[in-house]
Amino acid sequence: MKLDPRTKLFLTIAGNSVILSAPVIYGAMIVVLPAVLLVLEKRWRFSLLFSFLYAISAFSFDYLKTMDVGLAGTLFVSTMMLVSHVMPISVIFYYVMTTTKVNEFMAGMSKMHIPNKVTIPLAVMIRFFPTVFDEARDIGNAMRMRGIRLFSLRTLKNPLAILEYRFIPLLVSLTKIGDELSVAATTRGLSPETRRSCIVKIGFHVQDVIVFVYCIAVIVIFSLRN
Amino acid sequence: MNITLKNVSFSYSDSLDDAVIKNLNFEIKSGECVVLVGESGCGKTTISKLINGLIPLYQSGTMASDVLLGDKNTADMTLAEISRYVGSVFQNPRSQFFNIDTDSEIAFGCENLGMDPEEIRERVDRVVKEFHIEHLAGRNIFHLSGGEKQKIACASVSATDPEIFVLDEPSANLDLKTVADLAGIIRFWKSRGKTVVIVEHRIHYLREIADRICYVKDGYIAYEWTPTELEAKGPEYAASLGLRCMNLEQLGETEDARLRGHDKKGVFASTLSSVIASEAKQSTTELIVFNDLHFAYNRKFPVLDIPVLSLPRNQITAIIGHNGAGKSTLAQVLCGLRGTWRQKRKARKYGAYLIMQDVNHQLFTESVLDEILLGMNPQDENAAFDILERLNLKDYASCHPMALSGGQKQRVAIGSGVSSGREIVVFDEPTSGLDYKQMLAVSATLQKLAATGKTLLVITHDPEFILNCCQSVIRMEHGKIAEQYLLQGNQEKLIDAMLNA
Repeated sequence: MKLDPRTKLFLTIAGNSVILSAPVIYGAMIVVLPAVLLVLEKRWRFSLLFSFLYAISAFSFDYLKTMDVGLAGTLFVSTMMLVSHVMPISVIFYYVMTTTKVNEFMAGMSKMHIPNKVTIPLAVMIRFFPTVFDEARDIGNAMRMRGIRLFSLRTLKNPLAILEYRFIPLLVSLTKIGDELSVAATTRGLSPETRRSCIVKIGFHVQDVIVFVYCIAVIVIFSLRN
Repeated sequence: MNITLKNVSFSYSDSLDDAVIKNLNFEIKSGECVVLVGESGCGKTTISKLINGLIPLYQSGTMASDVLLGDKNTADMTLAEISRYVGSVFQNPRSQFFNIDTDSEIAFGCENLGMDPEEIRERVDRVVKEFHIEHLAGRNIFHLSGGEKQKIACASVSATDPEIFVLDEPSANLDLKTVADLAGIIRFWKSRGKTVVIVEHRIHYLREIADRICYVKDGYIAYEWTPTELEAKGPEYAASLGLRCMNLEQLGETEDARLRGHDKKGVFASTLSSVIASEAKQSTTELIVFNDLHFAYNRKFPVLDIPVLSLPRNQITAIIGHNGAGKSTLAQVLCGLRGTWRQKRKARKYGAYLIMQDVNHQLFTESVLDEILLGMNPQDENAAFDILERLNLKDYASCHPMALSGGQKQRVAIGSGVSSGREIVVFDEPTSGLDYKQMLAVSATLQKLAATGKTLLVITHDPEFILNCCQSVIRMEHGKIAEQYLLQGNQEKLIDAMLNA
């Protein structure tokens, strides 16, 4: 099952605003969406793990937040708050990034009459994310061979050096890849001036309507109750 | 469509005084297949960029005079317009696809031209059939091998049906079998009357396809041969110009003769090699043995399944095998980057050090000296300077590693491996994209390293390199060792295995 890229954009914006600004119960209602969507993408193990972690963190945060739990407890509650808010946002991003094809995204944006000058850099970003992970993994490997680990006595003594070791090679290789990528794209005729066509047909279907109605319903209930 | 360069000069800086290309007159006729060769930095890639319009439209610099495609001047066109006539394929398979799935990528160029979706779908289907890549349709490009990515790049360019194809070192990261597929693709374009311009170090696969081979030196065409002419001049002539060999089968014979006749006197480090050779005779029995090298993503399909691996100590062993045979996995397990917790712990103690193909990933610090010191006791500066001295890097001790040339960076990475104190050093494709002289330099560095007590393991697709510096060969297949043999006396077997299998 496929969602229209515009629906995904809406889900990202609406979902994240609810999760960040509304009480946990509304956040939980939104979280159902990515959980179900991931199952439909056959990522049920990921979905299950995510739902489980979310349930624990959201419940403990909500249950404990008004109690007097002491210093350690406060630390725990704030951690749970961070997890229950940041994790679902990242998961929605992850879902959108991994299921949207670059050309789908560009077609969706052009249907919303967003100029190519805005769309093309955003499209490059979608392509860039997996590359960043790939490169970061290689660099992590290289560091492990040199005996530099993320958590060790040496790292604790000099955390800035580690940051430098990790980021300088990453930046150097990403700059190079970014340049090569834009050369490849421009020699294949990608340009802000020309109109693109797209082989993927995009359009709204039942599933899009369901996502839209569901998100709007959650927002409406939330605003009526407050 | 003819390509005409009339008296063209180009410089990457503001003035034409230090021009890379000086007053170049060059014409390529419609339907011709022209190969540009020459040492690194001679300006051949610049010529290819002049043809596909990246110069002057993308690259900044100073240019004099014009490049004509047919009767159109590239300086008056946009890159999008040029892309209708010229399709480009580049060296690095990782960075030349824009989409995440293969189908969209093949359609990408057509979409940019605003073609009708129905028509695009027909073209994609046709190209997939023409290139025999049905098995790659609908896949995630991030999960493909380098060779497969390169085929998708060719298919994508081919779908827009341009008149001219410009390829910049397309084979640099490919194994010989995939190179043969690439040759098939180029032959197909040629049969369709397309003009093909290829910048390349490895030219053996173009022996029967190229019409002309142009030797570029200091920005002009110094020599021009047909492939037959160049082959007739013999491998020594090619080597003297810094060119890779023209005929791999010939390579086996001459190298064999060289080994028998002169007791392996290479162009470089001749005394060194004979020292190694005599040492090898004394200590043929000394082996480093690894047991139980296994790795699997899931239990049914082991990626790596080697009960016993024995490496001759202080020698250079080549690992060959096709993409996906488990070579890189073997390297990663040996270096403790993959495998069970126990394997990793063991590897950290006695394991190997990996010199990656992209050495940029393993240089972290602000100076070459720091890079060496990182793996050892920081008080031990003398030892660090010793290592730098041996790698001819002493003058660069205070330079930033990222400011060095590719070969120097590789030597810094090797230095960091030496300073880590690990006995085995594994190289992943150390010679991809190198010309003949650079390849010999790497080979000399490796021989030096072996002579100073390291045991070397080299993953490579480069037969010339293996013949130049390795003593034995391990061929891998489906995660297992298919065979292991001494190189001496088996040169033809090696080339056969790399070409056919």
